[in-house]
Amino acid sequence: MVEYPEIDLFSSLDSPIHRFDPRAKIVAFLCLIFSVVLVQDLRLAFAGLLGSLAFLAASRLPLRFVSQHIKWVSFFIVPFLLILPFTVKGDEIFRFYALKMTYEGLEYGVLVALRAYSAVVLVLPVVATTRFDLTIKALDRLKVPNMLVQMLMFSYRYIFVFVVEFQRTWRAMEARGFKLRTSPSLYALRTVGKALGTLFVRSYERGERVYQALRSRGYTGTRNPKTLVEFKMQARDYALAVLIVGFAVALHAVSFVFARGV
Amino acid sequence: MVHISDGVLSLPVLAAGWAVTGVLLAVALWWSKRQGEGWEAEEIPRLSVMTAAFFVASLVHVPVGPTSAHFLLNGLLGVTLGILAYPAIFIGVLLQAVLFQHGGITTIGINTANMGVAALLASAVFKGGCRLARGRREGREGRERSEGSEGSKGSEGSKGVAGIFGALAGGLAVFLAVVFTAVSLILSGGEEGTFTAVALALAVAHVPIILVETVVVGSVVVFLLKVKPELVGSLGEGKR
Repeated sequence: MVEYPEIDLFSSLDSPIHRFDPRAKIVAFLCLIFSVVLVQDLRLAFAGLLGSLAFLAASRLPLRFVSQHIKWVSFFIVPFLLILPFTVKGDEIFRFYALKMTYEGLEYGVLVALRAYSAVVLVLPVVATTRFDLTIKALDRLKVPNMLVQMLMFSYRYIFVFVVEFQRTWRAMEARGFKLRTSPSLYALRTVGKALGTLFVRSYERGERVYQALRSRGYTGTRNPKTLVEFKMQARDYALAVLIVGFAVALHAVSFVFARGV
Repeated sequence: MVHISDGVLSLPVLAAGWAVTGVLLAVALWWSKRQGEGWEAEEIPRLSVMTAAFFVASLVHVPVGPTSAHFLLNGLLGVTLGILAYPAIFIGVLLQAVLFQHGGITTIGINTANMGVAALLASAVFKGGCRLARGRREGREGRERSEGSEGSKGSEGSKGVAGIFGALAGGLAVFLAVVFTAVSLILSGGEEGTFTAVALALAVAHVPIILVETVVVGSVVVFLLKVKPELVGSLGEGKR
C-alpha cells in the first residue's frame, strides 16, 4: 500500500562519492544537474547522460536500487517520447494514416528524455550515498533557513512512523472486509477519507507530545550546532568538486564555442 | 504526475517558479517570525509532524480505471494549515524529489508554486465559503454565535456546509494545480506550442484524480470537524 522511502539504504557502502564531503557533494552536483537540464544540443545531452552515468557508476550503487528509483521519471517522460514526434512540425519520417512522425519531434522528444534521465541519474549519487540526516545537516551548514532545515528533519523522521501507523489502520480495515476496487464507490472513497482523517488526528496529537518531549529536553526552536559528526573539506573533496563543476561548465562552454564557430 | 520532472521546462519557467516559491516562502517565514518569541519552538514540531502525515497520505494509491492515482491533498493542506501550507508543500515536494525521484530537483520551485498557490487559493475559497454560510445562517436565525472562529464548528448542518466547501476546496486545489502545471508546460514549449499536446494529455489524465480527491477531501474535512475541529484552520491562524 505505502512504501518506505529508503533512499539511504546503501549509504554505508564505500566509494569515492560516498567519501565526498556532503556539502561539496550537494553544491557540485546541483551545478551539474542545472547544467544538464538546460543543454539544448542532442549530442551534448548525450554526453551529459554518459558523464552522469559515469558518476553513478563511481558511486557503486546497486543496479536494482537505481532502476527502482528512475521508475517515476519514466512515467512522466514516456508521454513526451510518444506524443512529441507526432505533434512537432518538421520533416516527415513516415506517415501512418493521419499520424505524421517528424524528425524534429523525435529529436526533441529524445532530448527531453536524455536531460530528464541525466538529472535523475545525478540525484542518486547525491542523496543515496550519504545518510539522510547528514544530508540535512549539510544543508544546515550551507545556510538553508533554520525553519526549513528543522521541518525537513522532523518530517523525514515522522514519515517512517506514519507509514507504519497507516499500514496498521489499513490492515485493520482490510481485516473487516474493506477492499478498494478498480472503480471505487463513493462509500469506499469516503471510508479512505476517514482513514486519512484518523491519520491526521493521530499525527496532530503526536505532534503535541513530540513538542512537549522536546521542550522538556531543552528544545527552543533555535539552531542547535551540536552534532556528532563534523564535516571537514580535504584536498580530494576540492578536486572532485572542481571536476564535477568543470564538467557542468564544459557542457555549456562547448555549445557556446560551437555557436561562435558556425 | 503534477510533479514535473527535470529536463522538460525552459529556463524562464524554471526561474519564475523559483522566484514565486522564494517570495512565498519568505512571506511564510516572515509571518512565523512575527508570531513572537517561542513560536518556532512550539509550531515547528507540530507543523512538521503534520507535513509528514500529509506526505504519507499522498503515497496512498487509489486504483482508477486502468491506472492508479495518488492523492495530492494540497487543498486539505491549505484548509488545515493556512499560509503555512506553502512551506509544508515545499518540504513535501522536496522530499518527493529526493526520496522517490518523483518530480525533479530543478523543478522544485515551479512544482511547489503550482501546488502551493492552488492550495492557498483553495484555502481562501474554503474560509470565504464558511464565513458566507455562517453569516447567512446568523442573519436568518437572528442570534449571535459567540464561541468558535469558524461557523463550521457548530451544528450538523454547518458541518455539512463545511464538508461541501471542503470538497470544493479539495477538488479546486487539484484542478488549479493541474491547470498551472499545464500552463507551465505550454509556456515552456514556446510559440510553436511544442508541449501543448502533452500538456493537454496530462490534464485529461488528471480528471479522475480531481473527482476522487473532491470526495476524499470532503469526507476528511467532515471527519476532522467531528473529531478534532481545532485542526481545521488552527495552525496558521496566528496566536491562539
